[in-house]
Amino acid sequence: MTHTNHRKGTIESLRRDYVVFIYPARGINDEGAGLKAEEFLCLGYSHGPVNAGPARTGDVFLFDPQRVLDRINRVGSAYAVFDDKDKVSAFIKDVVKADFGVSIIVSGLIDEVGNICREAGIKRHTAQCSLGVWGKTDSLPPEEVLDITTMCGHGMISSNLVRRMTREVSRGQISFEEAAAKLARPCSCGIFNPRRTQDLLRVAIEKGVGDLG
Amino acid sequence: MKVDAEKCTGCWECVDYCPVAAIKQADVGGVVYIDQDECVECGCCLQVRVCEYEALWQPELEWPRVLRSQFSNPRTPHPSTSIYGRGTDETKTNDVTGRYPRGCVGIAAELGRPGIGTRLSEVEKVAKAILPLGVEFEKDNPTYNLFEDVTTGKLRPDVLRERVLSAILEFKTSREGALQVLRVLDGISREVDTVVTVNIGSVWEPDGTLPAEKVAEEAGFKLRPNGKINLGLGRPKAENTGESSDSY
Repeated sequence: MTHTNHRKGTIESLRRDYVVFIYPARGINDEGAGLKAEEFLCLGYSHGPVNAGPARTGDVFLFDPQRVLDRINRVGSAYAVFDDKDKVSAFIKDVVKADFGVSIIVSGLIDEVGNICREAGIKRHTAQCSLGVWGKTDSLPPEEVLDITTMCGHGMISSNLVRRMTREVSRGQISFEEAAAKLARPCSCGIFNPRRTQDLLRVAIEKGVGDLG
Repeated sequence: MKVDAEKCTGCWECVDYCPVAAIKQADVGGVVYIDQDECVECGCCLQVRVCEYEALWQPELEWPRVLRSQFSNPRTPHPSTSIYGRGTDETKTNDVTGRYPRGCVGIAAELGRPGIGTRLSEVEKVAKAILPLGVEFEKDNPTYNLFEDVTTGKLRPDVLRERVLSAILEFKTSREGALQVLRVLDGISREVDTVVTVNIGSVWEPDGTLPAEKVAEEAGFKLRPNGKINLGLGRPKAENTGESSDSY
């Protein structure tokens, strides 16, 4: 009951982070869902996603678009990540027109998703909202690290990897783009946003996240 | 996960990829090893193919250790549910399944998230605290299958020591009941030895309000500005969720 629901960050930063997905209900409308997911993803590609994937394969758009499409038929669900609300809005209008008859979900700023729905002539049905992290929060890494690690809903991106990438970029050993791609690799679903990560790495460097000692 | 000490060169390249920092080095410059008690068997280090010497390898896991992989590795399906990942379809298909009908609130407490991990004993503590409040646990959530007695929240004793990246207690309750659940959840979260990420969901009401938001406010919590929104485009429509009248 989570996955894309707990992405942390400021509102300004989250304006560059939307995940759109198609998800069939098992035993109800999953027949032929693979082909619909493929069509959904092709539509998504035409609007310039920063990442995409069919979940669980590790063959995300960022690394191998063809393998993503090859896998879709066996999975039946697909994700497309965008860094621009206008792109999401245009995509959702196409999705409404395509009329897949399968559940479509958008993770992002709730008010902005409301605007996207209004522009597409539809209404939001159900919302799942985060109440944040409770409990032993003093064991958590800094917010600048969490803003990046929480973009993998399964928690596969380690805080130490974020620190290391921050350090290597600040030393000029790798580019922001290379660091974001390395951070995306553990997230096998393809919901990680590498474009936003580059911005967040700049913030992390300013805050000294990668400093040793 | 294990390390073949014969193949490991001690380059340390894999160490930072472990989400729970279970890859360790006994001596500076020496080979690495996996702290078996800390490892949650997420398989991340193997999946990213970080070791060019193929020193990392995944042994076959037996019960109850196999639970670590089932709850931590998103590429391992739960045999009890055939679902990958740690949760269910929840909100994603609610327009079709009606899992959370109108008038009902869905809540999930995910222990160990983000990136801290948890022993399943901590999951039991939370389950025992909220069960007396009349919540209805989601049967399709893999955590449900760990209960020895679902009426008390007691988990099977042989699983309690297992450590996972996270595990979710997913349940629904009435709007009125949700208020008390959140308060109890807040209290027990302060007593467990991990973090607890909490979410709440509901269908939009005909007047355009979101019960999940109202309940959270009444309990003294504020929703994050971002969330997961089902657009209601699935078919056939669940009859128990009614027509959406979201007024934006």
